[in-house]
Amino acid sequence: MKEFLLRLRRNEDNARPPHAYLGALGGAGLLALSIVFIVGGYELGVGSPRRLGTGAFPVIMGFILAVLSLVVIAIDIRDTSDAERPDWISFAAIGAALAVFALTVGRIGLVPGAFLTTITASLPDPSLPVLGKIILGAVVSLACWALFIGLIGLPFAPFGGL
Amino acid sequence: MEILAGFGNGLLVALQPENLLYCFVGVFLGTFIGVLPGIGSMAAISMILPLTFYLEPTSALVMIAGVYYGAEYGGSIASILMNIPGTPSSSITCIDGYPMARDGRAGIALFGSAIASFGGGIIGMIVMAMLAPALAELALNFGPTEYFAVILLGLVAASAVSNGNPIKGITMVVAGLMLGTVGVDITTGAERFTMGIPEMRDGVHLVIVAMGLFGVGELIVSIRANATGAFQNEIDYKKFYPSRAQWKAMFGPILRGSGIGSFFGALPGTGQTVASAVAYAVEKKVSPNRDGFGKGAIEGVAVPEAANNSATQTAFIPTLTLGVPGSASMALVIGALMMYGIVPGPRLLVEHSDLFWGLVASFLIGNVLLLILNIPLIGLWVRLLKIPYRYMYPTIIVLICIGVYSLNNNVFDVWLTLAFGWAGYLMRLFRFEAAPFLIGFVLGPMMEEQLRRAMLLSRGDATVFLTRPISGTLIAITVLLLVFAIGSALRQRRRARRATRTTSETEPLPTSNKG
Repeated sequence: MKEFLLRLRRNEDNARPPHAYLGALGGAGLLALSIVFIVGGYELGVGSPRRLGTGAFPVIMGFILAVLSLVVIAIDIRDTSDAERPDWISFAAIGAALAVFALTVGRIGLVPGAFLTTITASLPDPSLPVLGKIILGAVVSLACWALFIGLIGLPFAPFGGL
Repeated sequence: MEILAGFGNGLLVALQPENLLYCFVGVFLGTFIGVLPGIGSMAAISMILPLTFYLEPTSALVMIAGVYYGAEYGGSIASILMNIPGTPSSSITCIDGYPMARDGRAGIALFGSAIASFGGGIIGMIVMAMLAPALAELALNFGPTEYFAVILLGLVAASAVSNGNPIKGITMVVAGLMLGTVGVDITTGAERFTMGIPEMRDGVHLVIVAMGLFGVGELIVSIRANATGAFQNEIDYKKFYPSRAQWKAMFGPILRGSGIGSFFGALPGTGQTVASAVAYAVEKKVSPNRDGFGKGAIEGVAVPEAANNSATQTAFIPTLTLGVPGSASMALVIGALMMYGIVPGPRLLVEHSDLFWGLVASFLIGNVLLLILNIPLIGLWVRLLKIPYRYMYPTIIVLICIGVYSLNNNVFDVWLTLAFGWAGYLMRLFRFEAAPFLIGFVLGPMMEEQLRRAMLLSRGDATVFLTRPISGTLIAITVLLLVFAIGSALRQRRRARRATRTTSETEPLPTSNKG
């Protein structure tokens, strides 16, 4: 596991960073979003200049965003520099940790949920051995129980579903 | 006189044991999070927001403010010791702070930074106490057209004076404004863009957006940034106090930095990063020790620290008196106030004078507490930097999850935070700034409401925004700012392109050497 993670990290460090022109994809995404808001806004009704309707503001903003998105695409597509070097391992692990929390907290309770979340979040770090991850998970989950349920009194079930 | 009386009352409010405790908790947690490299005040405030929902509005605001300026204090510690800015604005402190630390003068740099931060904070507080009531009085005459124009100015300033490309900044503001329309329209009661999801009827919660974009987004970045290891050097605490000559050298820069910082902090939309960068550039021109800048000059530590801390305090001026955030973090303060049903604006000083003056007075107390935390207790923060980051970030992610989940006891909020977190990371990767997006998101509903009111009162005549003197002037300033920002960005691009062309013309092609 440790070897595998180290190899992944090495590959990521040696890989070429993504091209900045991929930022144009962000512009394209925003353009799509602007179309959704323009169409949705029209369907809601734009009203009159005196009495602006529910959809008026989204439509106005949608048009402005559409123009700006096109400018962003035009700028980014000519950008020949490199984007920031990504850290996809941490990106995936942190996402997975949030997903684990969302999937577990209501079903098995805060303490096991926090335990599994901590372990998942710590996965991308090969310098922490498995036992270290388990101990960290136990300490964090018990501290959360003491702080949030014991001290602050949040209405969470420590174990089991809500 | 009125100001003194208000401040006296505020002091009584701030000295109430409960507020005193929350002020301490705020500055302590702020310093704690600010010290962690790469995690700034935005992330700090968004992590703390869910906790404040259980408090009285004054205590909550005092605590949020404490976190805000505590994070700015704390940010300088990692900058000086590890050359990794704890907050974006403390990146300027790295320029001279880190060379001082490498030179064995880390103690003096930390002491100088704490004193400059304190000086800046106190001057900023005085400026706020004097300027805010006057601005609020002026703003009492504002109607919807003027409010719309002020919000527009704030939004353009936030995007145009941001660190990246102004076009991308404005694009993010508009995207944020659009996200602000999701949920039930308060005027007509119609649902907008909820996709039939019941949890979206109240719109997207501010904490989710902030926690995702800044908490989760910054955390992903910080894992690699901190992989190099914790701070391991020892600090000689005997060499902690500056000599008389160093005290003298810091005095002028603190005053100048505080003045510049107070000015930029009070401008809607600009923030501490701009303030500290401008103050450093000015000081480098006027200082008698200008040649020492960049090589470990104490003035180079004092000036950005004084500027960013005074800007931190004065950023509350437009936030509380006009309802327009002085910085991206202030957008969170506005959001928090609105959750309590308190509308920031000129009426706030009249209707909630206890809250306003209590907050101003808490700045004094908070800054004194920070001085204590940062001078006698500096060893505590240095020890914190020695804790390997592999133990810290999984703990932070659990705290983020619990904070978001506690909003409505609903896992949908956690999924939404995940989506915003990933979006925040990708935005950073491709140079889309998240701060203008957040400002747009917070101000969107307010802007729409003022636009609708103004159009109704003017019977559909849109020229009212230009014909009314105050709004006309503000819109003219907005246009000028926009033209200036886009012009300077274009000039910069042209210069960069010319430099690249010159380099490629003078350097032989790499392939020609292979053979």
